[in-house]
Amino acid sequence: MLFYTWPFLCFLLIVLPAFFALRKTPFWLLGLIAASYFFYGWWNPYYLVLIFYITVVVFILAALMDRCPVENQKTNLRARLLRFQFNDRLVKTAFILFILGSLVFGGMAWAGPQTLRPFAGGLGLIMLLMALGALYGSREIWLVVGLFNAGVPLLFFKYARFISENLNAVLSWLHIPAKLPDASALMPFGLDYLLPIGISFFTFQAMGYLIDLYLGKTARERNLLRFANFVCFFPQLMAGPIERAEQLLPQFRQFPAICAQNFTDALSLFLTGLFKKMVLAGWLALYVERVYAAPQTFGAPALILASVAYAWQIFFDFGGYTDMARGVAKLMGFNLVLNFNHPYLATGLGDFWRRWHISFSRWILDYIFMPLQMRWRTWRNAGIALALVVTFLVSGIWHGAAWTFVAWGALHGLGLAGTFGLERSAFYRKRVPKIVKQFFVFTFVTFTWIFFRAQSLPEALLIIRRIFTAAWQDPQIPVLILVLVGLVWIYEFLCESRFQDVLKTGFVRVGIAVLMVLGLFFSSSGGSAFIYFQF
Amino acid sequence: MKTAEKLNDIFRTVFENDEINICPEMTAGDIDGWDSLSHVNLILAVEEGFSIRFTERELLTFKNVGDLLRNIENKLGAAGS
Repeated sequence: MLFYTWPFLCFLLIVLPAFFALRKTPFWLLGLIAASYFFYGWWNPYYLVLIFYITVVVFILAALMDRCPVENQKTNLRARLLRFQFNDRLVKTAFILFILGSLVFGGMAWAGPQTLRPFAGGLGLIMLLMALGALYGSREIWLVVGLFNAGVPLLFFKYARFISENLNAVLSWLHIPAKLPDASALMPFGLDYLLPIGISFFTFQAMGYLIDLYLGKTARERNLLRFANFVCFFPQLMAGPIERAEQLLPQFRQFPAICAQNFTDALSLFLTGLFKKMVLAGWLALYVERVYAAPQTFGAPALILASVAYAWQIFFDFGGYTDMARGVAKLMGFNLVLNFNHPYLATGLGDFWRRWHISFSRWILDYIFMPLQMRWRTWRNAGIALALVVTFLVSGIWHGAAWTFVAWGALHGLGLAGTFGLERSAFYRKRVPKIVKQFFVFTFVTFTWIFFRAQSLPEALLIIRRIFTAAWQDPQIPVLILVLVGLVWIYEFLCESRFQDVLKTGFVRVGIAVLMVLGLFFSSSGGSAFIYFQF
Repeated sequence: MKTAEKLNDIFRTVFENDEINICPEMTAGDIDGWDSLSHVNLILAVEEGFSIRFTERELLTFKNVGDLLRNIENKLGAAGS
């Protein structure tokens, strides 16, 4: 159910009145969960199991983690194993249940129906791991077990095929006759092997909660309904923003305040998002798709313009989605975090990542970069550079199981590692003109988007080679698209110039709104799924 | 010299600003130039200055200058006793 389609409008027309009608009852949280599950189930009801699984498992493991002392305390393993002496009844019960679970699933993997065996084996292994967690009973163990549990569906659905294909290629290269089965062979009940929409987003959100709890940055949520809403809140379920526990969870403690300002803000966000997606991203996509479908037939100008157009397309596609998501949440009185802050006005690569997909870059900064940077801190700048490269490789792989994304992440990591010293120097900060820095960042980022957009690594390399070697033919770009990009660029520059106050006046705002509505009426681009739904 | 004063000196050296006066509630947002990269330099300077070593978990849980100062004092206290 995409935000700009009729089914979503109907869904909202039922959900909103029901939500507000339930405001004085204790059922509003339950209603919100039902709405979110319906929203997700509309796409694929079977994969609701994944959301339910992550919710319940992370909730239980968080409770178990909370039972462990913060300071490391020696656990008497011998007493636990031989005399069955646990100090905590909950942990003891968990241990027994996990052992029984691993036996049942292990048995099913051994002698159960053929189609269920791999699935049951996997579950049995997870149960055994959780039993070990209960036996050792430290916060670290629960963190590892929790991250593993939350991460397994993501690993399986997103990366299993990529891993088995690449390993099989290595095996055949080594002339070893063994072959790994395709991931689809492991699906239970003969279900299709599809990437569950939004899995990267809700998995990272749940993982963030576990890590924050481990670090003592957030308190454990004791109410399962509130926690379930945190995992499945429908406005941000498909593609974020990835919320932090301390930002979103408190908003489910009481029914949000109802005020007129929320509705006007929500509608303005939604209209802006709709315009970005349907008009700007939609029109740009027409040109980008034509050029990228057959890059070998186009000259250098077309390839350059299509790459620039794609840089704007992906910004408007994802930025438009985020505006709509924030608008829908705001309609109900909830606040989701800002995800984009004029990224193409960034004056450094570090600055770019503080403005682009902010919720995600904060996640990788806090949970991947910072721990690595701290671990390697005695290596000084080399440690920072290495941490940046590793972090952005993970970021690339997060976007998709393909070598193009790995290359995209590696380029950003290397770019950051190579420029963080320069960006902090007095020369760069004070002497280099702002426009030059912005041009450099935009050019670099657009260059990396070529890898992001191309179907394969050889295709990306072909495009780059042709940009430098192909003839300068007519790019066949519609004038309208050129004008559009020009206008958008001027608007972006105005947003951070001394004329920015002019954009905030009522007259200009109404004018922009009218133009956006007109654009939507006359746009014939149609809609396609959001780019970020595939991640 | 008291721990807080010594820590203040380290802050002034790392951020090259002699007007910094730290207080427990201070966070990265309050000091110009205190970002994730300069944070490493600060931590290294603190570790060298006080001859102590933080664990990674400790480093990730500091919420403000007060947390850092308390941790240093605990470590110095434990070493002195």
